[in-house]
Amino acid sequence: MSAARPSTPGIPGLLGNRIRIPQLVALGALVLFLAGAPSVVDSFTLSQILTKALWLGIAAASLIFLSSYGGMISLGQTGIYAVAGFTMANLVHAAGGKNLGWDPVAATAAGIAVGTAFGLLCGAIASRSYGIYFLMITLAISVIVFYFFAQVTTLSGYGGIRSVTPPGLIGNSVSDPLPLYYTALLASAAVYLGIRYLARAPFGLALQGIRDDPARMQALGFNVALHRALAFGVGAFVASIAGILSVWYTAQISPGGINVAQTINILVIAVIGGLYRLEGAWIGALVFATIDNYSRVWMPNVGVWLGPERFETVIGLIFLVIVLASPGGLVGIWDNVWAMRKRQLGPLVASGTSSAKAVNGDVDTPATVESRR
Amino acid sequence: MLRTERSVRPRRLLAVAGLAVLALTACGGSTTTPTASDTIKIGILSDCQGDFGSFFNDDLGGALAVLAAHYGGHATGSLPKDGMTGAVIGGKKINIVGFGCSDSTANKAIEETKRLVEQLGADILIGPLSGDEGIAVANYAKTSQPNKTFLNGISGAQDATLKVQAPNFFRFNPDGAQWSAGLGSYAYNKLNWKTAAVIGDDYAFPYTSLAGFIAEFCAVGGNVTKRVWPPLGTTDYSSFIAQLPKNVDGLFVGVGGAGLVTFLKQYQQLNGKLNTAHIMGNTFWPDPQLLHSIGTPMVGAVAASGIAADDTSAQATAYKNELAIYPATQKDAASVFTLGYWSAMTALGLALTKVNGDISGNQKALQAALATTTVDGPYGPISLDSNRQAVFDNWIVQITAPPAGSSDPGIHTILRIPHVDQTFGGFFSPSTPAPSRTDPACTKKTPPPWVGNEVPANF
Repeated sequence: MSAARPSTPGIPGLLGNRIRIPQLVALGALVLFLAGAPSVVDSFTLSQILTKALWLGIAAASLIFLSSYGGMISLGQTGIYAVAGFTMANLVHAAGGKNLGWDPVAATAAGIAVGTAFGLLCGAIASRSYGIYFLMITLAISVIVFYFFAQVTTLSGYGGIRSVTPPGLIGNSVSDPLPLYYTALLASAAVYLGIRYLARAPFGLALQGIRDDPARMQALGFNVALHRALAFGVGAFVASIAGILSVWYTAQISPGGINVAQTINILVIAVIGGLYRLEGAWIGALVFATIDNYSRVWMPNVGVWLGPERFETVIGLIFLVIVLASPGGLVGIWDNVWAMRKRQLGPLVASGTSSAKAVNGDVDTPATVESRR
Repeated sequence: MLRTERSVRPRRLLAVAGLAVLALTACGGSTTTPTASDTIKIGILSDCQGDFGSFFNDDLGGALAVLAAHYGGHATGSLPKDGMTGAVIGGKKINIVGFGCSDSTANKAIEETKRLVEQLGADILIGPLSGDEGIAVANYAKTSQPNKTFLNGISGAQDATLKVQAPNFFRFNPDGAQWSAGLGSYAYNKLNWKTAAVIGDDYAFPYTSLAGFIAEFCAVGGNVTKRVWPPLGTTDYSSFIAQLPKNVDGLFVGVGGAGLVTFLKQYQQLNGKLNTAHIMGNTFWPDPQLLHSIGTPMVGAVAASGIAADDTSAQATAYKNELAIYPATQKDAASVFTLGYWSAMTALGLALTKVNGDISGNQKALQAALATTTVDGPYGPISLDSNRQAVFDNWIVQITAPPAGSSDPGIHTILRIPHVDQTFGGFFSPSTPAPSRTDPACTKKTPPPWVGNEVPANF
């Protein structure tokens, strides 16, 4: 359908495709804005909203990667990022845990390696399952990880690990939130570009093929289970990055932060943003962090039914509205609005391609993904 | 149909950029203004969810009632959570910037502390409620906010003061072990227990609470043969009850909050009526809310608490009268939760008055004043040791049949345990292992200083 648009001047993009001028302007504005955010917003917003949205976004991106390219909706991402976070927290100087005194950078690498390895193991277990069974296996992974760290007091216990030493580069993120913000921003950009690159590489193309028709891919000679397990490992690598950032963000990690509620939060973020759009991860995380933080300030008191302490009810309601109004999440809403505009500009659509088709081809609703199986 | 990845489209980028800008514009308006010199901002952190969520209004009420009673505060609603305005201490207006709503996890407590301190700009924080939350907040105070002042709410893990030693974290309530002081000796000498089993939730507060019992019971010659740790939030205790040995003289129960109601119900289903000569409880047992929920099966049982509920002295009466602004909180006056938050705000009021509301100079004058403040508590004075941890009198109480006109059991105070300090006269120190599933070990040694010096109470 892009071929139907009147040609605008373009330049070769990072990934080989051509980027048009408006696109370049939007990209530039976004980069400029995110890089300049620290001088626009106060340090609380920078740390509690933006940095939080960035690391939550990475966690959600690992889920969206698996769901949109692999057709695997995983509830195990929280468990996996917890393994990475706890590994790192146990290795460095901290109050609680093993307190082994490793260099934080080495511990970070070890944390990501252990998290990814754990993800590959989980992927090997879950890769032959589909649909609700896959969901249950991955949920079980998160629950097992929660109870493991809550029960094994030498590694954590209920109170978790506190005062975790970050690398010198990050420093004290309360007194100076800038380094952590930029680290999270760079990590987010790397994750975004990395996943988009992978999606175009043979590995990603085969993964999308497996998502659409595993039987045919099997017949073509692909090892479907292995491919899915490896994809799960990639998702685990991304989730592990989020796990490390989450520990730096709060300087501590405890089972209370990786429980089933957090597992659901990550799913909620992905769905709010749009479960089939990578950008949706960060948009969902930004909306979630904002609502989570400000809903109590905005919330009016309505008798005993509504008040600041019922903020979680409101998060639930907003979630419900978004899911009902647009199965494609916030990005889906944007897509629909854009498509409506496009219908009004009918001549821009090539003959033979109805605008409705263009929209359907563009927005993967759960129904369209299901129908591909 | 094989679907390949399409190119990045401008509209998607526009969407991302647009949303980011919108959200930031929304957030940007909330920039915290620096504290006006005539205002002191206070945040109060407690639990409104989880096992201790039901104590939320008692906690807030205990703290706010002090402002109403002594500093001209006006309640802006019938419940403590509705807030309070108009209080003035040392010539400074007191602005209650918000209430933190945690769920007994360290994670949530830190999130809420950050919201109160960093977003709402609280100069002083009162809270939190639960053990692991307290350790986390003390660490945060020490490493992230050395220029703000933190007064513990009612969290009672030993580490929060003994190990963390944050110079700006003050705890005017006892830790869990101090609340158990006197019980080990009572069990061994009065109830004639020679062996005991203990059961408690698997986290820092019960570790500390049971450590107090174990240290003293073993010091005087008793032996603890089994320690059972169900996770906090357990809803079915049957498998844990089954692990408790039958061949011991007594059972010390440190299960807390909502879990205690379930635990005692299941314990009776499996073992019959409670034999109160062979079971005793920690500071949760005499709590008014739990006496109301559990009722008569507990009658006869002995427990220890920082509260002598049947004390009718002028001090105790004055304390209850102070809470009159919130009738529901006043009904729970004899709860350690109410008393803990009341003690913190009382100490803060005294110290702020002493420094004329001066919180300049990174609050160092206020912190120095707090360190030497003694709260004239309803059941005895509460002072701080060199580690900013409360030294107080503990009470051994017995649960009695409901008094006339009430369906809830009453309290009869038996003994006063004088001058209980955090170290138990040398049992616990910064270098001893933190109380845990296995620590302290059960060893016979010189008992804590109060053993043999208990004072019979006569209320």
